[in-house]
Amino acid sequence: MGKIYRYECRRLLWNQFFAGLTVVLLLYGALVLRGVTILGVSHTAPFSPWSFGDYLSRMLPLLWLGALTLLSFFTSPKARRAEVLTAAASMSPRRYALARCLAALTGTALLALLCLGQAALFYGWYFGWYGWGSLAFPTLVTLVPPLVFAMGSGWLLGKLRPWLLYAWMPAPFVCGLLPLPEAMGLWNGSFFIRYPLTLERLDPAFSAPVSVLLVQCGLLAAGIGLLAHSPVKAVAERR
Amino acid sequence: MNVIRLFSLELVRLVRSRTTWLVVLLTALSPAAGLGFYQPAVSTTMNTLYLANPAMAGGAAGGILFSLLTIFELDRLRRSRADLLTDAVVSPLTTALARLLALLAVAGLTVALTLLGWFPVSMVRIGSVFDGGDYALAYLLLMGLALPLSVLAGGCAYQVTCRRELSIVLFAAFAALSLTVWAGNWQLCWLNPCVWALSDDFSNFRIFRSVAWMRLTWLAALAGMWGFSWLCIRRYGKGALGSLARSARRIYRPIIALALLACAGTAYAAQPFLDHSNPDLTVMSFYELPDVEGVAALRCSAKVFPDTDAGTVTGRACYQFENTSGQARTLSFGINPGYTVSRVQANGVDAPFTVSAYQEYNEARLEVTIPAQTRVEVSVAYSGFPQESLPTMQGINELSADYLCLENSALLPRPMNVRSREGGCRTVVEITLPASMTAIPFSTSEAAVVAEREDGAKIWRYEEKGMGSILYAGDYVRQDIEAGGITIQFYYARKHQAIMEQAGAADAVKAVVDYCVRHYGLPAAFGTSGRLKLIQSRVRSSGYAVDGASLLDEEDFTAANLADVEKGGGAGEVMIHELVHQWWGLGRMFDLDDPTSPWSAEGLTVYTTYRIVKELYGEAYAREHYIGQWKQAVDDYYLNFYVRHPAYLELLPEGERLGISNNLSGMRWYSEMPLKILKAEELVGGEAAMDRILYELFQREPDPMYPYLTYEDFLTACGLTEEELELG
Repeated sequence: MGKIYRYECRRLLWNQFFAGLTVVLLLYGALVLRGVTILGVSHTAPFSPWSFGDYLSRMLPLLWLGALTLLSFFTSPKARRAEVLTAAASMSPRRYALARCLAALTGTALLALLCLGQAALFYGWYFGWYGWGSLAFPTLVTLVPPLVFAMGSGWLLGKLRPWLLYAWMPAPFVCGLLPLPEAMGLWNGSFFIRYPLTLERLDPAFSAPVSVLLVQCGLLAAGIGLLAHSPVKAVAERR
Repeated sequence: MNVIRLFSLELVRLVRSRTTWLVVLLTALSPAAGLGFYQPAVSTTMNTLYLANPAMAGGAAGGILFSLLTIFELDRLRRSRADLLTDAVVSPLTTALARLLALLAVAGLTVALTLLGWFPVSMVRIGSVFDGGDYALAYLLLMGLALPLSVLAGGCAYQVTCRRELSIVLFAAFAALSLTVWAGNWQLCWLNPCVWALSDDFSNFRIFRSVAWMRLTWLAALAGMWGFSWLCIRRYGKGALGSLARSARRIYRPIIALALLACAGTAYAAQPFLDHSNPDLTVMSFYELPDVEGVAALRCSAKVFPDTDAGTVTGRACYQFENTSGQARTLSFGINPGYTVSRVQANGVDAPFTVSAYQEYNEARLEVTIPAQTRVEVSVAYSGFPQESLPTMQGINELSADYLCLENSALLPRPMNVRSREGGCRTVVEITLPASMTAIPFSTSEAAVVAEREDGAKIWRYEEKGMGSILYAGDYVRQDIEAGGITIQFYYARKHQAIMEQAGAADAVKAVVDYCVRHYGLPAAFGTSGRLKLIQSRVRSSGYAVDGASLLDEEDFTAANLADVEKGGGAGEVMIHELVHQWWGLGRMFDLDDPTSPWSAEGLTVYTTYRIVKELYGEAYAREHYIGQWKQAVDDYYLNFYVRHPAYLELLPEGERLGISNNLSGMRWYSEMPLKILKAEELVGGEAAMDRILYELFQREPDPMYPYLTYEDFLTACGLTEEELELG
């Protein structure tokens, strides 16, 4: 399985699409950091968890798009034709699907790490600030649930119809335009701008109301459920 | 295999390559960087924001991407060691030529796709002032031509070094030079043209001509260099020099390359756009010339024929002098350095003349010797391209069928060392303009059509006091407005008519003039003729006023500026704000040397706008849209992270630091200072008392050595201290 995982990783990450995605992500990240994050949100420092969360919210649509692009390697018509051959291999289809899923997750995690690394570099270079520990919680809350959900839902949709994956790509952009309720504020980034102002003190530590955390947990659970369901379904289909 | 066959094969191969499409896609997307990330043009017109900056960003990014593509494509065969095989079939020179043509074709395709892709975006963002011609020219010149230049530069580097990494480093250094050290030199910045503004309402041919000249100069230079590098392509196992010697045996090859380089050198040296004015602006030797004894000017006249297609001017100026000295005298005239004086006659006889190589303030010195006769009529025939003197702000001397601005010596030679006779000299100007243009002398004079030619062109005539004139002309709409006891002739571009009408420009002018004349009086610059021309000019980043005329920069009336909530509650109120600057800013000037000070023309302008709006729409509206917003902005300002922790601002690189401080100082100008003035109003006893103070400040005779209205002047007039106006 390790060999297949490494092979799939290489296939996903060592190509011009991933390189192009990286370049676009870094350029957009630089644009956001230098144009928006540098000003700080809601009167907080540019390196506060709130400003950082706002940066991640702005990067999330591109990361979502990146994750689904990686999945498209497995769901494209070309990949489906090749699946006839791989299905004939002696390896368990469940393990094979798991290796692919892990490779896509690795690619998505790498893209997210690039964003985080770029922000860390920006904070160190511009402000000499290295207190990254305080940013861990907003990172987990902001990025992990939607990206896991992107993988799960993307996998399912891609298996149903390859084009559904592309139709699913603009979802976070649409969320950014919708006036979502406060509990879903993390989906369009409004949470990081509005919530600290309600705390009525300067430079508040990062916190989130229970409703927001519940929504994010629900999203994460849905993502995991879909991921767990999809490989099983794939196995059933092959049998 | 001939070049054309190879070219088609190469093109098909390139078009099938994923890398090519990635480069094409990224290049086509790269103008997006100009919307926020890379904005070299500083003006705020819609065309600058949504056309010039995206196109230049596309040019810079696309140029870099295409040079990388070129280097990788040239290195492809060598990397796979297939070059040994292909060289045995086709001459490597032929292959290189075909590959260059294919890359140039892909660059052309990319520009076409970018033009198509960004057309709707630009059209929506720029709005009613969008112009297809400007759009196409901007993308072709500011972006399009960067791609072939980069292909040539990348190819040149690779063909000389034959090493991919080294070629990338060489190209990176060449591009970095353009983006940094050469960025302010309009002829050297080959990748990022030196464009500071594009006009929305008038044409942009002057700046486009300048960019085209720069691009073509570099195209010739890089084509010449590419030609030499082409001869260095390795053949018969020889090195670069050996291959050069071998390939140069066909003598026409190096001759063509040399000819291209010579063309580039000539184009660089003989550029017609910028003069060679003394860069030391403290030297004003032309203004210090002593008057010639015994000579007085009686009358000037000029017939001027602008060629709006070529952007040139042909003219003939006649001067009548009275020479009571009984000797031959040498008179000096200031003339635009771009003009060639073809003939000078004194009393109908050819007179000796010289034009100085020394130039100052956009003028060269024409010296004419007049005979020892009492009455001398001097005629000067001149023609040429009116040059400018500021390389980083080109476009002010625009001359087209849409717009024309001929100031002083660009209109006719200006006598420099001759005084007028007693009672003053008068200048009569006749100018031939296309039918769509209206001539507007920048003075109290009125121009009238005296004849019409068969081709529809009109001959305008006007008479001025003094020995010189400033003339604006263009496709203008004129609205006459009675306000404040004077007649305002409001001229604005026909293209801007919809925006002006939507913003209620005429009502704004009336409201402002009524209010300001009633409260502060008439600015001395407006004169006492009872008429004032307000002329919207092409973007020039400044305005000025003379007796009877005042200039309004189009930049202040863009749709984006009129929607700026800091300046007013709506487009009409921003219009009021910009017009109030005729009093606070132009009528009374402010020193902006200290960027940390909240005192500027904006404070009094915003306060006056608030007072006008209060009169027009009532106190509740003014309180909500002005005082409420100022307070909110000031509260936000004091909570701002950088205001609370200025040490972090100091840590930032200069560009970011300036951006943030400018943003913060903007708030201080537009919100904090108006609040302070409002507080001062309460402390001095109310609106009537403040109006009296401002009236006195406005009417006070300024010190000619330091004609600015300072914060200290304001505080002294109010009898208050700086501390008393601190906002709690």
